[in-house]
Amino acid sequence: MLRRLLLRSPNSISQPLPTSHQLLPPSPKVPFSAWIAAASPAGQPPSSCSHNCRLALRSLRCAAAGGGGTESQPLPNQGMAAQNEKDPRLARISSSIRVIPDFPKKGVLFQDITTLLLDTEAFKDTIDLFVERYKGKGISVVAGIEARGFIFGPPIALAIGAKFVPLRKPNKLPGEVISEEYSLEYGKDVMEMHVGAVQEGERALVIDDLIATGGTLCAAIRLLERVGAHVVECACVIELPELKGRERLGDNPLFILVSG
Amino acid sequence: MFAGENGLQGDPRLKAISDAIRVVPHFPKPGIMFQDITTLLLDHKAFKDTVDIFVDRYRDMDISVVAGVEARGFLFGPSIALAIGAKFVPLRKPKKLPGEVISEKYVLEYGNDCLEMHVGDVNHGERAIIIDDLVATGGTLSAAITLLERVGAEVVECACVIGLPEFKGKCRLNGKPLYILVEPRQ
Repeated sequence: MLRRLLLRSPNSISQPLPTSHQLLPPSPKVPFSAWIAAASPAGQPPSSCSHNCRLALRSLRCAAAGGGGTESQPLPNQGMAAQNEKDPRLARISSSIRVIPDFPKKGVLFQDITTLLLDTEAFKDTIDLFVERYKGKGISVVAGIEARGFIFGPPIALAIGAKFVPLRKPNKLPGEVISEEYSLEYGKDVMEMHVGAVQEGERALVIDDLIATGGTLCAAIRLLERVGAHVVECACVIELPELKGRERLGDNPLFILVSG
Repeated sequence: MFAGENGLQGDPRLKAISDAIRVVPHFPKPGIMFQDITTLLLDHKAFKDTVDIFVDRYRDMDISVVAGVEARGFLFGPSIALAIGAKFVPLRKPKKLPGEVISEKYVLEYGNDCLEMHVGDVNHGERAIIIDDLVATGGTLSAAITLLERVGAEVVECACVIGLPEFKGKCRLNGKPLYILVEPRQ
């Protein structure tokens, strides 16, 4: 079974790469190489974050230090898509991710990035792909979602000269926080950010390992916008397109490396 | 062992790192002065210096595994692993890792907790370091050491940004050396 390799541009009108790509055989270091098209559970009722995001303080912009990219323009993708269509790094990244059936519950195909972290070349390439995209774009904040966003976010932040801001489950951050509630498949959860970590007008990225329904990313965007930051893009290693997270993000750009 | 005792005496980066850490009194409960490293992460230079100091130390020690303790070990470990060409292995709370795991219980002030590692992540004979943001009682790090030794790895050292002063000198944890950058602030 072939897995589509996508390098999505931030433009909402752009299309995914048209055809599936021949993939390199999985690395022998990766024990599990069964790739099954994700038969994902029905996504939850859409609760688009775009409405909330339009209410946020979009008027606050900043010509951030370091220049590159004016406030309201999305990141340029010319050349990026063409270059990345053939980017050989993506195949290795994709094949290093292990799929675990029925975790955390039956019917779910869990995308396990821990095997990617064991492949030093693939892990380095993953970070490089994000750094190449975001370096020199005036981004001063990389916000990572607990806990797997903590693995990818800091190396990116260090390489592009940004600060790293952890977005955490409740009661983990010791200082004063702002909280954002969001819906899960069953029930709700809460995401928190330290007050004072991000200033008004800063340009921010949100990083997580995977986007599914987009609920978590939307909560992260809302937190950042509540303090007046501009979320330039959300970046994930993996997208599960059937769960329509991209739609839920609405106008907020999404950049991903591989599709699950 | 503290970095300032060995090779980095008077290194100005250490003071800047210490100054960048925020102390939050009475978190998570009264009497505890919580050492908050999130403010270190906001200071790009100090964060970079933190990683660089560890990278400089471990780069030539033939380390193939950097194991990081969830969740704050994840903030430092991967950058170190990438820079020294090692793999990163997350050590997690129960039921977070999706594949087959081995588990190690450890004692908390009240009750127990458990640390897990994926089977197959680490091979016999690999040289490993373990990273966490802070070492206090050493309970979590001891469990981490045991996990790695159970699969036959050699734990070369445990590395923490912050450590209590009793870890100065040749103090070891389960026979393993510790390398610590700064003491807790009041």
